[in-house]
Amino acid sequence: MDGGFAASKFESTVKAQNKGRTLYLASKSPSVPNLNEAFQSDVRPRISPGRGQSQLNVLSVTEELTGSSVIDLYGDEEDEQDEQGDEDEGENQEDEGTDGLASDNPRSFTASPSVSAPAGNISSRDLSHYDRYGFKKHNSHISQEEYHAWWDDYSRYCVRRKRKWQDLLEKSGLVSVNGVPDRFPPRSEKLKRYVRKGIPAEWRGQAWWYFARGQEKLNKNKGVYDKLLAAASERSGKASGRDLEVIERDLHRTFPENIHFQRQPNDTEEPLMIQSLRRVLVAFSVYNPKIGYCQSMNFLAGLLLLFLDEERTFWMLVIITSRYLPGVHNVNLEGVNVDQGVLMLCVKEYLPDFWPKIVPKQHARNNEFLYKLPPITLCTASWFMSCFVGVVPIETTLRIWDCLFYEESHILFKMSLSMLKICEQDIAAARQNNRALRSRTLSKDDEDIEIFQAIQTTPKKLLDPQQIFDRILFKRRFSLNNLNQEEIDRCRKYVTSQRLKLKNYADIMGNRPSANENAKRDIKMGPEFVESALSSEIYGFRRSLTAAHWNNSIKEKVRQIRRK
Amino acid sequence: MTGSRTGKSLTKYKIVFLGEQGVGKTSLITRFMYDTFDDHYQATIGIDFLSKTMYLDDKTIRLQLWDTAGQERFRSLIPSYIRDSHVAIVVYDVTNKKSFEYIDKWVEDVKSERGEENVVLCIVGNKNDLADERQVSTEEGERKAQVLNAKIFIETSTKAGFNVKNLFRKIAKTLPEFQKSDTVPLDDKFPANKPDVIDITTNNDDEEQTSCQC
Repeated sequence: MDGGFAASKFESTVKAQNKGRTLYLASKSPSVPNLNEAFQSDVRPRISPGRGQSQLNVLSVTEELTGSSVIDLYGDEEDEQDEQGDEDEGENQEDEGTDGLASDNPRSFTASPSVSAPAGNISSRDLSHYDRYGFKKHNSHISQEEYHAWWDDYSRYCVRRKRKWQDLLEKSGLVSVNGVPDRFPPRSEKLKRYVRKGIPAEWRGQAWWYFARGQEKLNKNKGVYDKLLAAASERSGKASGRDLEVIERDLHRTFPENIHFQRQPNDTEEPLMIQSLRRVLVAFSVYNPKIGYCQSMNFLAGLLLLFLDEERTFWMLVIITSRYLPGVHNVNLEGVNVDQGVLMLCVKEYLPDFWPKIVPKQHARNNEFLYKLPPITLCTASWFMSCFVGVVPIETTLRIWDCLFYEESHILFKMSLSMLKICEQDIAAARQNNRALRSRTLSKDDEDIEIFQAIQTTPKKLLDPQQIFDRILFKRRFSLNNLNQEEIDRCRKYVTSQRLKLKNYADIMGNRPSANENAKRDIKMGPEFVESALSSEIYGFRRSLTAAHWNNSIKEKVRQIRRK
Repeated sequence: MTGSRTGKSLTKYKIVFLGEQGVGKTSLITRFMYDTFDDHYQATIGIDFLSKTMYLDDKTIRLQLWDTAGQERFRSLIPSYIRDSHVAIVVYDVTNKKSFEYIDKWVEDVKSERGEENVVLCIVGNKNDLADERQVSTEEGERKAQVLNAKIFIETSTKAGFNVKNLFRKIAKTLPEFQKSDTVPLDDKFPANKPDVIDITTNNDDEEQTSCQC
């Protein structure tokens, strides 16, 4: 009965869909409280939204702060100095130090620049609890005061970065339409650096779409989204009945704290954002039955919807689940296991001190950990499945997404390693600060809890993206730079084949531990078994172009030739 | 958080929450931990972990609560973590028949990982405040719990705060800590005064003990 309910509900929304969508785009959002409306400054021409434009046109920090042009705010001299910093220090953490000089700018900002005026029937007091994307500022990990203290600095940083982006675009001869560029400069080290330091919030939708080559995908699939919606309404309740039901249950559990996903007291209809989310997820479940609907995709689509229209959100979801996270959301979640195996290999390589704490000794040899994935991978799996949405605070999430669409999936691994590094530091600091703990040797069990607790809570406190981006992720000393996309792709292939080999071996030996498909992740077999299943193929990380690597790659090639 | 540890190491128990998506696993934990309720909680992806010290009958124990994702495909990720949990709480929604039918699969997972004898199995029917929408009767629930050989069956309402503490009290009573009569309290000071310790001895909310103790 639940399925039927969901189906009929969906049918009616699809019928109203065209009308709904036009309505949405024309008036931006009749029932969703539009925060932008409140901050819309006079100098900024109202963008007439079209299908190609983002539904929620995230407000420019610049305009909301001043109501006047950025150029009036920052003199040329200072700007040049800033630019210098960029050129000279590149990805170095000191770079922002130069930027930091500019933050002494005497202009005074209000403590919460994103909220200055009441919108519609929502009182300004209520609004002050929400950020520029409609998310609640404070939660159990971050207080409103902490938020404002940070935002005061970070909003200035955003203004400076936007100015730099504008310069870059100008120099590249690109003009922006209505303040939002539709094209970006060709790929370069400089552009990469700019992306890593954050894309201006109000350009994000456009930039993600551009860097992920979304238009290419859409051009090849013109009209497909509408057909999927039509197909979904015809077939509703049939093949994907189960998916529909699961989607329905998750709609209101997607950003319940975000104002755009909430039903307002006077609303009779459900929020438009929820309606869009339903259509995108249902269309996807029809488009890719191998995946259907997987929890966590609601967060991916939900965040995209804040920056892109429905159709583009749909195609971005297609791109994320196929190009960046292949197999991760599939019904058997094998992609999750592969990526977690890859992450574990990376931890072994890049965080050798942390490694023995998370992988039991008996699993550490022979790659056994690639099948008996250590417990923490169930936590870290969600980092990948939702691309850090809900794992870290929103501004940090968005910075990760900026990099993801420009640099592809290896950034998720780098980010995860950086996060684990911070956890490691947090654990060490906590011990240092606690005399009782310092003097005591913890039991393995206590140590496990300590690690779990850190992995669970540390990311939630990462309010300031700089804390992880500058101090860990792109810091030269913690050299993650060798870990590029090529390496990750190679690593993924390796883990996939290792997992497959063991599974095949188990099948042949009739040692299938259980007929239960669900035991797959945790094949019960001893180290001897693993050893005989696998030759001594140990994954070799590319540390730099050393002889060792060269030999490894020759070895690999010889092996391939032999196989043929 | 780790700083709150007492000098003596507390006995720890792992409790895993299983069941269909949206039945109220996160809600149950939140009600127990913070005594609050929201209509919608963000969907749990993968697993969430919480640790809490609980006080009952002059004894203090440490609970590790594992909140899991409910969607069927996540079942393949979870079993290995069930292995060393002492208590498995399988939750269904009394207003959703499917979620009730589904508990068999979760219980099957628990038993294949843990074996019948080694785990305290609890069946929890949540949302019992929604009387008009009820699709599973209390009797049906009790019967199923008996068939599945569950040690505890209880109906709760996380919204109304009904029977949640009671559930944990019942669970505690099944743990070896509270079955031996000769145990000495771990801590002579009254630990319930500490802010991060949940004292479930007193029944100060409007909970009733209506459910049977199977």
